[in-house]
Amino acid sequence: MDVAKEKELREAELMVEKNVLITNVDKLLNWARGHSFWPVTFGLACCAIEMMATGGPRFDLARFGWEVFRASPRQADVMIVAGTCTRKMAPLLRRVYDQMPEPKWVIAMGSCASAGGPFADSYSMMTGVDKVVPVDVYIPGCPPRPESLIFGLMQLQYKVNNPGKVRLAKHGK
Amino acid sequence: MENKELLKKQVEELAKRVNGEVEESLGTLVLKVKASYIIETLKAAKNFGETPCDFLHDLAGVDIGDHFEVVYQLSSLRGPQKLRVKAIVDRETPIIDSATSIWGGANFLEREAYDMFGIQFKGHPNLKRIYLWDDFEGFPMRKDYVAEPVEVRNVVRVRREDE
Repeated sequence: MDVAKEKELREAELMVEKNVLITNVDKLLNWARGHSFWPVTFGLACCAIEMMATGGPRFDLARFGWEVFRASPRQADVMIVAGTCTRKMAPLLRRVYDQMPEPKWVIAMGSCASAGGPFADSYSMMTGVDKVVPVDVYIPGCPPRPESLIFGLMQLQYKVNNPGKVRLAKHGK
Repeated sequence: MENKELLKKQVEELAKRVNGEVEESLGTLVLKVKASYIIETLKAAKNFGETPCDFLHDLAGVDIGDHFEVVYQLSSLRGPQKLRVKAIVDRETPIIDSATSIWGGANFLEREAYDMFGIQFKGHPNLKRIYLWDDFEGFPMRKDYVAEPVEVRNVVRVRREDE
């Protein structure tokens, strides 16, 4: 491709970026996505109990619009990895992630999913699910309280709403 | 005679037959035998006249250091009797007869002991790993096992076709 053609394309791209209609649709889509996550249930250990409590009436995840926990990855866009992911489970975690449609995000809930937790030195553990899938939000705690999970989801919502501020390295931006 | 005394008499008689030792630990009778006598011992314990120990509560491997032990926790649904049978297994050639012919429930328990300690159960119908994946190397609960470094552990395993 010659330089002139490349320049022309680049200018056209800039024109598209400046186009008011496109940016607004993007913002609208991000706003809609951020306010209606459909998490896939990936409960592996005690963190899953806290995740269930978060979905229950006391903490009421429904008021944010994120309560539709799906049993199938094909209908979900957020994977909350709640619990200890062993080396035996890692390929299955990757498979569930691959089955989710784009756009998709991953939350590593608890210290096990984030960095291996108390089992980090064990023969059967890898140190965090970020070795298997790209993680967007890490939630510390062992296990984290439902408030922490809600805050983590709010951080993810912020990330989705502001793709310019929060660089999504996995999408090459 | 009370249940406990009856059981003790039976166990001591059995110990003479199988060259075992009897001791008491925290109120439970412990019978220690060599691995080669284990089937005879368990069969006899299952058929103790008035105090049959006919329920296999648990089965586990133990690494003592210079040898392994397979521990059988026996009890019964028909009485308060409890018996712990320990089989001494050689460390270099850890082979022992399977108890699956006596209790079908020993199947998964023996697979666990094999998975963690590498104890071979002769006559087991399906002796393969139960917790760890099939191509895992080594037996992690042995005292001389050294875990792989974190760089190796962080590499995501690829599942095999036949899994």
